[in-house]
Amino acid sequence: MTFRYLPDVALADVAFEAEAGSLGELFESCALALTDIMVDPATLKPAVARDISLESDDADRLLYDFLTELIIAKDVDSLLFREYSIETAPDGRSLRATARGEPIDRERHSLRNDVKAVTMHMFGIRHEGGKWMATVVLDI
Amino acid sequence: MAQTSSFKQLSDYSWEIPQSYKPGMNVPAKIYATRKLLEAMDTGVIEQVTNVACLPGIVRQAYAMADAHWGYGFPIGGVAAFDIEDGIISPGGIGFDINCGMRLIRTNLTYSEVKPKIKELVDLIFKLVPAGVGVKGFLRVSEPQFDEIMKYGVKWCAENGQAWEDDPAHVEEGGYIKGADPSKVSRQARTRGIDQLGTLGSGNHYLEVQVVDPARYFDQELARHFGIVQDDQVLVMIHCGSRGFGHQIGSDYLRVFDGAMKRYGIQVKDRELACAPFASKEGKDYYGAMVCAANMAFTNRQIIVQRVREAFSRTFHREAEALDMHLIYDVCHNVAKVERHFYEGKSADVLVHRKGATRSFGPGHPDIPAPYRGIGQPVIIGGSMETGSYLLVGTQKAMEETFGSTAHGSGRTMSRTAARREVRGAELQRNMLDRGIYVKAATMDGLAEEAGMAYKDISEVVETMDRAGISKKVVALRPVGNIKG
Repeated sequence: MTFRYLPDVALADVAFEAEAGSLGELFESCALALTDIMVDPATLKPAVARDISLESDDADRLLYDFLTELIIAKDVDSLLFREYSIETAPDGRSLRATARGEPIDRERHSLRNDVKAVTMHMFGIRHEGGKWMATVVLDI
Repeated sequence: MAQTSSFKQLSDYSWEIPQSYKPGMNVPAKIYATRKLLEAMDTGVIEQVTNVACLPGIVRQAYAMADAHWGYGFPIGGVAAFDIEDGIISPGGIGFDINCGMRLIRTNLTYSEVKPKIKELVDLIFKLVPAGVGVKGFLRVSEPQFDEIMKYGVKWCAENGQAWEDDPAHVEEGGYIKGADPSKVSRQARTRGIDQLGTLGSGNHYLEVQVVDPARYFDQELARHFGIVQDDQVLVMIHCGSRGFGHQIGSDYLRVFDGAMKRYGIQVKDRELACAPFASKEGKDYYGAMVCAANMAFTNRQIIVQRVREAFSRTFHREAEALDMHLIYDVCHNVAKVERHFYEGKSADVLVHRKGATRSFGPGHPDIPAPYRGIGQPVIIGGSMETGSYLLVGTQKAMEETFGSTAHGSGRTMSRTAARREVRGAELQRNMLDRGIYVKAATMDGLAEEAGMAYKDISEVVETMDRAGISKKVVALRPVGNIKG
């Protein structure tokens, strides 16, 4: 489970590629990348838990909706998360997740960028050589 | 680096990419750039502007301005006009930050008066205008009031004590775009947006105290029309948009269009170019919602201006009116609008998408407010926080060549991660202070990402648009105080 930034893609925004051994772990990697863009995760405590259940047409759109849900939580409830446990259905069309984090504290949290949205530029999940991979470009 | 050998040079400042460049192009693409800017342009711009040229119903040309850089879907710095009957509307051609734009207000203060108090002033504005990740605004409105804001923008502000009487007339479209349909806005977008009024956001959004640069005071006669009358006059520039409200509307409709394209038999070269016929139900619904976000963005910038006026008043112990803090203009640079243009021997309504591009209507256009109608629409081009910004005016040539459009900023040349590797925020803040720019930032990492070296040379961008005749330079403004979201 890991992610790496793609510094030469979409200069004004932030692109990353995530890789994992299972679809659920891939979603977790993508969520951790999203967190890392918004805040130094080491400054966050897993004090609050948020359960998320989603259904979608396919795994791609499920990932899009999941990341969008986390961005909405940042704006509506001022919540940022640092830990995720995610179970995806075998068909990749639904998930149940618990995200743990805490409300934004400007004194204690080392905040970074306010992510606006998940774009569909280069967006997608691939299953290659037994690994799950995703490319995501976030609008900053 | 872009491979330019197949491009046709039209002038020292413009290039055509022929339709033969890529299968599926319905029109050629046109890039405004010097040879130097063109060769330095990232390949993503060329790929994206030619993808835009493949969209259904595009008319005449797809454009990339001199500040163009690799965005998502459309390039940032991109313009495309579509036939309103046969053409499409695309959220990716507008951007998630619907009606991100620039606002410029003047003062009658000079830098010698402001310099001793710059720290006090910037610190107070930083306190009054929330900036950064997940911030909430200070203006509380009810759901019905939020609906009115979606429909009437700055007109609502003027009727509710949040604007001066002459403010709406100095905003593009008179302060609100007609055609808003709040019933097409999702519950999530409402919830994300309703308490963000008066917030700056983050990324490249900023609020800057600026000074007229005497060395680049190009046209004093034109400047006088804007109330800019002296060297070292202090102005304030604001760059922000529709916040989470617009971002959510963009996300909602990108999903809708991604699913709808199959129904309309539309194929696109990049999923972010998802679109639907403008005349379709999906197209009309998105337009109605997009206009709501555009009007919210006008309101957001207006509410911020009220706080800036308060900060100046408290710092200089004079009423904002006595400080002559009138709005010069407010321009959108992420939007789509129905406009009448003359092209290919006919006058027709087209849907002009401007993504990181500014309207640049020439003298005499009826949509320009009366005080400026004789000189052309004010064009506000924001540079990096280190290098300054420009005020220009629109031209007749822009009407003839680019559907009345020009550049919007300097354009990035370096990614955010690369910029962060090059410089540390605290070090940049100190260096800028040494050069007379006092910066308050919500985040040090974010500050580093916005370093001047991450951007193209704004002077070359502006010079290109001026020499190409697409907009005309009036004055350059150098930063002395900056709030970075």
